Amino acid sequence: MTQETTHFGFKEVATQDKQGMVRGVFDSVANKYDLMNDVLSFGAHRLWKHYTIATSNVKAGDKVLDIAGGTGDLARAFAMKVGDSGQVVLSDINAAMLNEGRKNLINKGVSGVEFVQLSGEQIPFADNSFDCVSIAFGLRNVTDKDQCIREMYRVLKPGGCLLILEFSKTDIALLEKFYEFYSFNIMPQLGKIIADDEDSYQYLAESIRKHPNQETLKQMVLDAGFGLCEYHNLSGGIVALHKGIKI
Amino acid sequence: MQAVILERALNYLLETHQIDVSLLDGKVVHFSLQDLPIEVGFVCTNTRIFVTTDTSTIADVNIKLKASVFLALLQGEDLTKLLREDKIIIHGDVKTAQLLVDLLQQVDIDFEEELSKYTGDIVAHQVGKLAKKFKSSDNPLTSIKDKITTLLIRPKVQ
Ligand SMILES: C[S@@+](CC[C@H](N)C(=O)[O-])C[C@H]1O[C@@H](n2cnc3c(N)ncnc32)[C@H](O)[C@@H]1O
Repeated sequence: MTQETTHFGFKEVATQDKQGMVRGVFDSVANKYDLMNDVLSFGAHRLWKHYTIATSNVKAGDKVLDIAGGTGDLARAFAMKVGDSGQVVLSDINAAMLNEGRKNLINKGVSGVEFVQLSGEQIPFADNSFDCVSIAFGLRNVTDKDQCIREMYRVLKPGGCLLILEFSKTDIALLEKFYEFYSFNIMPQLGKIIADDEDSYQYLAESIRKHPNQETLKQMVLDAGFGLCEYHNLSGGIVALHKGIKI
Repeated sequence: MQAVILERALNYLLETHQIDVSLLDGKVVHFSLQDLPIEVGFVCTNTRIFVTTDTSTIADVNIKLKASVFLALLQGEDLTKLLREDKIIIHGDVKTAQLLVDLLQQVDIDFEEELSKYTGDIVAHQVGKLAKKFKSSDNPLTSIKDKITTLLIRPKVQ
């Protein structure tokens, strides 16, 4: 019997093993995650996230679910938007990342956010529960991305908004060259120096390459049932924000 | 980017002025300019409005007009007059079109500035001047919903 496989970075691994391997990566980077994000993106991840929040249309009283929320950047910003009458759930498959998120939000004086450990492939919430569901830099780590998008669709209310912020493909040739060099040569080295973890950052660079491009992801969102999906390229397409509306 | 600005402005307006958009719920409106490569879709859902440049979805109403007419409309131009003069073409559910136009007229955005990103300052300024000319030669917007509805349900056959 042949075993089903999927990619883990550039490696082909048994499908059932990927989740555990991804967990290993994030267990290992959890406590240095925020610092590494700032260093590796030259602080740009803050702008990308800011843009995501600004275009989310989330307002007071809304219910928001952040999947693969890690250290809680988006959840914190959503919490400010929804106010006391709203609800934000910060979720992640990885307990170590979720713990960092909880610490972070407590340190920053954010209250009212709920923490749930869950996989984006099986969301333990009822249908039509949220006004907005987000996933930032998380989808590429999920084994069955289509299943994850279908689940996000299911838990969104009619008219609700899906936000996928993820690395994507730039069509600026020079930027592409620089980015290629940076992510495969410099990023793992920085990972080694700062987080003493070259392999995890090698995986992150590879997983970015393996992630579907803008148009493919848009089609996946539409195939999951969303009536509308459009994407906004940020930083020349290095990152893209896909916005889907459940209509 | 322009769609994003418009979307934010509209939703800010809805939130701060507690405007009831329930009548527009579930409606999709497409706006296209005849003389500039601008097409935007307004998707009204879940008590907010999404402005999109993807106009492949089926709309309840399609509105076609020139940039200068668009600016004039946003500045409160009399829609009946524009329709009578064939300066605006509307296909579909007219009530929805009118409700959205009402809303757009309340948004405080420098559309001239926004258009200039497509056309360069000079053209946008001229379009803006044209729009003002339209406006100054006319009465302020009155309650014209019924009149427009009557006008539009008898569209001119080309
Ligand atoms: C690169 S981090 C992103 C964290 C945060 N959203 C941010 O933008 O900073 C990716 C996160 O995805 C989580 N993750 C990986 N697979 C997942 C899955 N199947 N379901 C939910 N979370 C997952 C990881 O544990 C990790 O915290």
